[in-house]
Amino acid sequence: MNTAELFEQFHKIALNPRAQKDAYLKDGEKVVLVTYYVPEQLIHAMGAIPFHTYGGDLPVNEAKQYFPAFICSVMQTMLELGMRGTFEGCSAIVIPSLCDSLKCIGQNWKYAVPSIPFIPLTYPQNRKPDYGAAFTRAGYERMVRELEAATGLQLDETRLKESIRIYNEHNALMREFSALCAEYPQVTATQRSDVYKSAGFMKKEEHAQLLRELIACMKQEVAQKSSGKRIYISGILADAPEWNRILEDYGLQVVGDDILACSRLYRDDCRMPEDGEDAMDALVRLYCDKDHCSLLYDEKKSRVEFIVQEAKQRKADGVILALTKFCDPEEFDNPMIKDACAEAGLPCVVIEMDRQMQNYEQARTIMETFADMIG
Amino acid sequence: MAEETKKERRPLDPNSAKYKLNQIAAKAYSDAAEAKARGEMVGWCSSNFPVEIPETLGLYVVYPENQAAAIAARGQGEHMCNISEADGYSNDICAYARISLAYAKVKDSNGGQEMPQPDFLLCCNNICNCMIKWYEDLARQLQIPMFLIDIPFNPDYEVSDAQLAYVRAQFWDVIHRLEAFTGKKWNEEKYKEVMGYSGRSSRAWLRATAKAQYEPSPFNGFDLLNHMAVMVTARGKKEAAEAMELLEKEYEENHQKGESTFRTEEKYRIMFEGIACWPWLRVTATGLKSRGINMVTTIYADAFGFVYDDFDGMVRAYCNVPNAINLEHARDKRVKLATDNHIEGLLVHTNRSCKLWSGFMYEMSRQIGEKVDVPVVSFDGDQADPRNFSEAQYDTRVQGLMEIMEANKEARA
Repeated sequence: MNTAELFEQFHKIALNPRAQKDAYLKDGEKVVLVTYYVPEQLIHAMGAIPFHTYGGDLPVNEAKQYFPAFICSVMQTMLELGMRGTFEGCSAIVIPSLCDSLKCIGQNWKYAVPSIPFIPLTYPQNRKPDYGAAFTRAGYERMVRELEAATGLQLDETRLKESIRIYNEHNALMREFSALCAEYPQVTATQRSDVYKSAGFMKKEEHAQLLRELIACMKQEVAQKSSGKRIYISGILADAPEWNRILEDYGLQVVGDDILACSRLYRDDCRMPEDGEDAMDALVRLYCDKDHCSLLYDEKKSRVEFIVQEAKQRKADGVILALTKFCDPEEFDNPMIKDACAEAGLPCVVIEMDRQMQNYEQARTIMETFADMIG
Repeated sequence: MAEETKKERRPLDPNSAKYKLNQIAAKAYSDAAEAKARGEMVGWCSSNFPVEIPETLGLYVVYPENQAAAIAARGQGEHMCNISEADGYSNDICAYARISLAYAKVKDSNGGQEMPQPDFLLCCNNICNCMIKWYEDLARQLQIPMFLIDIPFNPDYEVSDAQLAYVRAQFWDVIHRLEAFTGKKWNEEKYKEVMGYSGRSSRAWLRATAKAQYEPSPFNGFDLLNHMAVMVTARGKKEAAEAMELLEKEYEENHQKGESTFRTEEKYRIMFEGIACWPWLRVTATGLKSRGINMVTTIYADAFGFVYDDFDGMVRAYCNVPNAINLEHARDKRVKLATDNHIEGLLVHTNRSCKLWSGFMYEMSRQIGEKVDVPVVSFDGDQADPRNFSEAQYDTRVQGLMEIMEANKEARA
């Protein structure tokens, strides 16, 4: 396949998670829904397929019985999809308790979607000291126990090492792809987004294979001339088709991101456990060593400087803070990131986003002005 | 045109619990202000942080949530929210946080409630994770250290050994880090004394609130919203324990004498769910009282009663505060309050500021309503931002609740 055909392949998968899930189920696979920082390697090592859910772009009807309007649309639409039966056939859903809305969705899920067991994953915020690591491990062990009951599968230590290796390899490819997007202005916002989104709906080794081919093809191509409007995006999600079209319409090239569902998931590798070392402990450290995320305790707010540095390193002309409406963690960080960008001479704009957005005209107007400003 | 005549307020009896509790609440602020003036360190502390720690160490702390409530109740919530919103904070963020971030910046509440600026921050997220984000921002804005005790939301009914070990380790870690930072020392004897007062205050407070089981209740439930300030800020002090015991005694005497601070006929008894709507306290109270509805019980008040016997018991108590427990546990605690206090209806404040409190309240209140067999009605509001409340909606909802309770009474008669 050539570059265009490969991007088309990613696009199809990104747009049709349900078909993807149904195909896996038809093949006799077990599918487990995951979101935010669920340690997918453990699920992979059990022989099940971790399948991402961050909701979808759809109106909320059923979930209104459970959530008031001021809970973010990621939670609202996750529950909506669950209640509509979109996830039927999945063995379980694992939800970490990293923000107040994530704490709530699990409680609602038990009653709203009884056919898919809710498995809580309680993470510590004080994750650096040994006691934080011990608590993380207890959370993982509990998750595994409940997954074993839900899927009938078993965790095997040898397979876990192999899963860690597969995930590390995939992480590296995702990072390489992100770096290439900064060099190849011809990659559209939609194409870039499709690669990230599809990663959540495929076995990691399958996605890695496709991505490897794509990277090889991209490297054969000649980089087109830059529009001179290189942007860095931060936020939880920024995958709505209409949003990507806006970026494309104004010639905005995404050269890097701090989007949770994109780069934040692939930033850190798990240290490969040495012989005789417990593989789960290595995974525990992966979480405990994580930083620069709005959902994780950050006394020094190092994330603020991290974003400025990344944007500069990628030679971004501007920073977009794609703010998921009603997302507390991001809303608290944004004023400081905006100030830090201003100090660093990086134009920065905040765009509120919502899974239920019907009308993108306001976003379009803001982006048109922003593109003029940085161009 | 007739001139409006203001009702003269009766001076409070200085021997009454109400007077003493008001004094203690005010003294918490003045003590901290005096300490700051002397050059001592002062901390800002979240409401469900284990007060035993600063109290035992002899640290002066004040409570931003308590301050934000006072600012909102005195009509300055919107003014303060506007300041933080102008700095880029979304108006979807908790209004207590917006008020507090504004106060840290301008250091003036425009007549709301002043308090000294902090040298350190004590944060505990057993009430919400929003608290972490709020205190992180304060720490960065003010360039001061933050001490976090992370008490995770417990998805299980009981506190697990793993959670107990995690939280216990953090208690000691924070104690040692505070010793190093402030130069104050942990003293077991002092801790036992504080634990004793905290236990006495808590037990007396819970016994006082439980007097609502009498029909009619010897108190107006809105009293609890004022008195709980002492439970938040001073439950580890001797004066608090004594005042709470006096409050309990007064409520019992009220019952014996057939009196109540609910100064009208108690026709209906309800449970209130959520944080008070501070900017509209008078409106929300009058909307009930004018219909003879007494809000006799609320988990919000009982949340600040901590009963335990030893260090591990204390750790468990802080793991079991209302916002840190799962739906079933939270529901059962409320069902007990509802049953013990013979409520006839449930009024739920869908609080725009509090995602955690409101995020599974629809399902939980449905379950409470079914288990206790009472009608459930909710209204939209906010704990401190006056813009998120509609008096007309509140009035209609309360009227609706009253009509169902009335019909139920008639059907049972």
